[in-house]
Amino acid sequence: MTREEQEYLYNLVQNPPPGSKIEAAKKYGVDLTLNLRRLAMTPTERVQEMESASELVQELQRAAAALKK
Amino acid sequence: MKSLRTALKLLADGGINFVIVGGFAAVARGSLQITQDLDICYERTPENLRRLANVLAPYHPRLRAAPQDVPFVFDERTLTQGMNFTLETDLGDIDLLGELSGVGQFSEVVRDAISLPLFGESYRIASLETVIRSKRAAGRPKDLNSLPELEAMKELSDKQLKNKAKG
Repeated sequence: MTREEQEYLYNLVQNPPPGSKIEAAKKYGVDLTLNLRRLAMTPTERVQEMESASELVQELQRAAAALKK
Repeated sequence: MKSLRTALKLLADGGINFVIVGGFAAVARGSLQITQDLDICYERTPENLRRLANVLAPYHPRLRAAPQDVPFVFDERTLTQGMNFTLETDLGDIDLLGELSGVGQFSEVVRDAISLPLFGESYRIASLETVIRSKRAAGRPKDLNSLPELEAMKELSDKQLKNKAKG
């Protein structure tokens, strides 16, 4: 993604057109700046980042389960 | 999770016609979802079913969360007689979907899928439109909750393409 494309998307996220899906997502609580960061990555990097997050979630779930015992 | 990469490579090396769908496809396209399984939509030709059975059978596919005594043989015959299988394997959780709800079978799913480089290989990955349609059709709360993000991403992508075309 070029710098110009990044800037274009950033502006759309910061100032979404009224009635757009982008605006709806922001209102729903989606932080689309995180998506923009992901979009600047390769597909492999995107999946790797998800895997790291997934491992953290599983670790937290194990910790929570251990606390309940 | 990392074993799912092995599963992907095995499927590709085995010459299986499939498209990555679901959460994994969404993530590869930039979504922030977290998914634990690999969903693929596979072509239901006899040759593809035979290959799929041969490739995955060594990894002991079994029906996920089913009682141990429920009989299940993973072979070409089972694949022919069924359609969608939610499996637990030695490589991780894999959903084999002959038909994607809200979209259709392989021929529909592959239509607007694109090949993306992933872990040094090239895989066909469902379009955001397909992921959105399937999640809307699935209708589970977790699927519906993912729609605002996916729809915004699709809109961003569409606008980006339009802007690019304008030059």
